[in-house]
Amino acid sequence: MTTRRQILAGAGAAMAFGALGMPLVANAQSKKTVVLASMGPLTGNFDPTSHTTLGQGNFEKIVFSHLTRAPMEEGKTDILEPDLATSWQIIDEHTIEFKLREGVKFHDGKVFGAEDVKATFEYASDPSRPAASYYPGRVDVEVVDPLTVRIKTGKYGYPASTFWFVSSFLPILSADDVAKPDLLQQRPNGTNAFKYVKTEGDRSYLEANEEYFGGRPKIDEIVYAYVPDANTRVLGLMNGEYHIAERLEPEQYESLLSNNTVAVRKGLSTENKYLHFRCNKAPFDDPRIRLAAAHAIDRDQILELMGDAAVASSCFVSPMKFGYTEIENYPRYDPEASARLLEEAGFPGGAGLPQLEYITSIGFYPKTKEYGELIAAMMMEVGFDVQLTVLEPAAWEQAIYRGGDGQGAGHMCDVGWMTGSPEPDLVLRPNWHSGAALINGVSDPEIDASLDKERGTLDPAERLKVLASETFPLMAAKVPSFSLFSAVNFHGAAKNLKGVYYFPSGPIDLSKADFA
Amino acid sequence: MIFALDFFLRRMAQGLVIIVLVAMLIFTLLRVVPGDPVRTMLGPMASAEVAEQTAQKMGLRDPIPVQFAKYVGQVVTGDFGRSFVRSAQGASTGGSRGGATFDASNRAPVMGLILTAVPYSLLLAGLALGISLLISLPIGIAAGLKSGKWPDRLALYLSSIFVSLPNIWLALVLIFLVSVKGGLLPAIGYQNWTYAILPAFVLAIELSPVFIRSASVAVSSNMLEPYVAAGQIRGLSRARMILVHVLRNAMIPLLNVLGIQAIGLLLGSLFVIEYAFNYPGVGLLMINAVFQRDFPVIQAIAILACTLLVLVNILVDFAATNIDRRLQY
Repeated sequence: MTTRRQILAGAGAAMAFGALGMPLVANAQSKKTVVLASMGPLTGNFDPTSHTTLGQGNFEKIVFSHLTRAPMEEGKTDILEPDLATSWQIIDEHTIEFKLREGVKFHDGKVFGAEDVKATFEYASDPSRPAASYYPGRVDVEVVDPLTVRIKTGKYGYPASTFWFVSSFLPILSADDVAKPDLLQQRPNGTNAFKYVKTEGDRSYLEANEEYFGGRPKIDEIVYAYVPDANTRVLGLMNGEYHIAERLEPEQYESLLSNNTVAVRKGLSTENKYLHFRCNKAPFDDPRIRLAAAHAIDRDQILELMGDAAVASSCFVSPMKFGYTEIENYPRYDPEASARLLEEAGFPGGAGLPQLEYITSIGFYPKTKEYGELIAAMMMEVGFDVQLTVLEPAAWEQAIYRGGDGQGAGHMCDVGWMTGSPEPDLVLRPNWHSGAALINGVSDPEIDASLDKERGTLDPAERLKVLASETFPLMAAKVPSFSLFSAVNFHGAAKNLKGVYYFPSGPIDLSKADFA
Repeated sequence: MIFALDFFLRRMAQGLVIIVLVAMLIFTLLRVVPGDPVRTMLGPMASAEVAEQTAQKMGLRDPIPVQFAKYVGQVVTGDFGRSFVRSAQGASTGGSRGGATFDASNRAPVMGLILTAVPYSLLLAGLALGISLLISLPIGIAAGLKSGKWPDRLALYLSSIFVSLPNIWLALVLIFLVSVKGGLLPAIGYQNWTYAILPAFVLAIELSPVFIRSASVAVSSNMLEPYVAAGQIRGLSRARMILVHVLRNAMIPLLNVLGIQAIGLLLGSLFVIEYAFNYPGVGLLMINAVFQRDFPVIQAIAILACTLLVLVNILVDFAATNIDRRLQY
């Protein structure tokens, strides 16, 4: 007969065995390690051209360098600084030339040169690459000498100036890696301040690049940890497990302001939040109905609700992007205009309109459910019948994009769009050019033509003018989507961690950071 | 021997039916609720055509019974498949679609992911059970011995408090007070076994009311049995009666509680607590898999958790039958 004692002894032995099997890792005190609690997971593929996910993009920025660096400071969004390129100029409509830095090495020891830029640009801009939509189009690269390249777009019929800002966003790969896609996928091999070491579970380890051309970083190691829960990120920051926590909630930012060990910062991001109308589906296939909906929404009330997490902006791109301007004819809160437009469209007081489904998320962006309810109530005031559908992130992400038949769920969706360079086309073309229109399905030849025109304008000052006087006013008149506000990013960091640079697009630069 | 063989064969057959039903339910539910794993895998800029092609290539557009039959065929050979979103080289996740990303060889085997996480969860669960028994047995036994008196009332009050504390709230409060403010124990993530103490304590608080109640009821009802008085009349001391006979007999219902309620409760709570503490066990793996619609990981953990519960039930019943042969299951 089995006795109680034998059972207990067995259970105890099993527990002890389990415990003994655990790795007991001691903290290395001598190393200067920064543990960064990230809100975005990494992909299983370290080829930067294979994905369009934010978390992975932020991670890549630590390992890979770019031709230029765009700090994207408020009011100075058009500034580019040297990175792997020391100077650059537009040679003609279809040619832009970059002079490259000498003496740079990749993390695997290969010397950086023009052949790497050629391999990277031609590979990344290949339309068959999954992230090709980040780039204006296909290019050929001419190697002038080992440290000079010319990006050429003549064969493909669009101006090379479109790569001006994108040069700060495209990670430069080793030509050897591009030639071996399997190797490229297995580990990131860049020229930036930190080298990739390994991934264990949800933590990826990076170490200081002793040969970094900008000088060895003072931080020895970065642990890039995926921590999906915002509360856990903050508590980990407060108890010292983490040194940087990404994307705090606005309330967490408020409560940490008086904390002695944690420093918090807020900064305008490159992200705007949009209310997308399904333009290829009734009733929003009629621009008058879209305008009526936009006039029904009082954005001041939304801003009040959002508090520190939002900044007013009346434009289709964030103030951190090139081309931002306050659009004069941007739809303002005007219930009377809304009623008049509904009547003109044949739906006086909203009578005859179908029930409209408004899809939003919870747990991804701050307060989406709350301001979703507010928007639904405001639209109902003028006669729209709105049903709010609140979905958790995975279901929401499936619902917002158009399916194979070109249609998407519901009639309106709440979506943000964050991109990694000042280039406005990274927002404008995927969302409002009929060639993509990933969410709203708009197909308007006038908008397409205007987007093509601004892209084709070489002189930056002239391009600004086209955007401000033609493209944006046209979009505001047809309002395929309604930009609600520009989003603010909140970060927390250990108070003694100094010299960290937070890009408004999400990445964090630790090359000059150190513990005070 | 024949009894044991008959017992195990009968109970295993029943258990297998339960496991198949649970697997079928989980498999179907995952595919009918909103949330397409392909979108998580491909990222926001993927076109609808690419998403559809990928889904078809991965068999996600086959009828559910066909998918289930294929899956069962795999599982019976011990292969739980490969993760949709985690790569073979580490526990990285979704959003990529370059070249051979979706080839099976580039995705992590589900069993490997689970086996990496299991020791962490075992440590946590073991510590939680240990702490819980340390808290609840003295309180429960004292309550049973002094039925209707202050130890009994104390047990009732403590149980009521413990059962009223939501585990996620308790977790956050304890991290804040003990780790952030007090600096007494580490929390968040895992560096060594001390990181398991705080989450284990939260789990123990949740488990304790069940143990306190069953220990108290079992002891007090045994104290009323005639054999207690008979033993003392025959010269055995009260202490010996309690320690050797009453506690032994009281173990039977406690074992049942441990097997049926406690393991079930523990499995459910592990998911929440591991997520709150970012503790890298099976629970965190499961929660992240749910967020990312990583079907193979969710299915495998659900099936294995169900199998564990069935096996624990069988073993507990067998142990109880061995302790007291009058019991029949």
